[in-house]
Amino acid sequence: MKEILAIIRPNKIARTKEVLDALGFPSMTATAVFGRGKQKAIIREISFDIENSALCEDEGSMRYIPKRMISLVVPEEDTSLVVESIMKVNNTGQIGDGKIFVCPIDDAIRVRTEEKGEKAIL
Amino acid sequence: MKMIRAILRPDKVEDVVDALSDAGHVALTKMDVIGRGKQKGIQLDNIYYDELPKVMLMLVTPSEDTSKVVDIINEKAFTGNFGDGKIFLSPVDEVYTVRTRSKGL
Repeated sequence: MKEILAIIRPNKIARTKEVLDALGFPSMTATAVFGRGKQKAIIREISFDIENSALCEDEGSMRYIPKRMISLVVPEEDTSLVVESIMKVNNTGQIGDGKIFVCPIDDAIRVRTEEKGEKAIL
Repeated sequence: MKMIRAILRPDKVEDVVDALSDAGHVALTKMDVIGRGKQKGIQLDNIYYDELPKVMLMLVTPSEDTSKVVDIINEKAFTGNFGDGKIFLSPVDEVYTVRTRSKGL
């Protein structure tokens, strides 16, 4: 099993959920987070308009950009399919599209039935 | 690659972030969390706080930089009192950048 941690733009979350649902991975956890990347936070990244144009040109002036982090645990063989589809949906070509981390998971337990392993996540 | 998750005092976070970006580790994710440690929260007079607000920083670094980053966080977040926080390290198998659709940090 692998955990896929994807940090994506908040306005892409609905489309990402739709696509993952269609592929058969409806379960996920989403958190609102703040973050920045290699380029530091760029003010043009946020999706609403800013009236002060001098502010927009000042790069690296914002400390953090709001992002959405989604976490889903999938069987090992489905990892590349899920990663590819998240990348396809979220790719805009602009800085700030996000990162995807794949981490190992040793075991999973469903609380309701106490099932373990892959049965618990499917 | 390693994922570093540091749970810190909210008032120390900006010091840590600035020190990390001076050292060249600009990219990170920050989230507000609530938790408690071994001391089970805190008792102030007759009010008992079961869970305390903390900030979690999450960053992924190449394995060779991990100890350096942990040292920086340790140094900047230290006060010597209970509640300074914890740092967790976990392995990361793969990293993808969505914009370029390529592997790697």
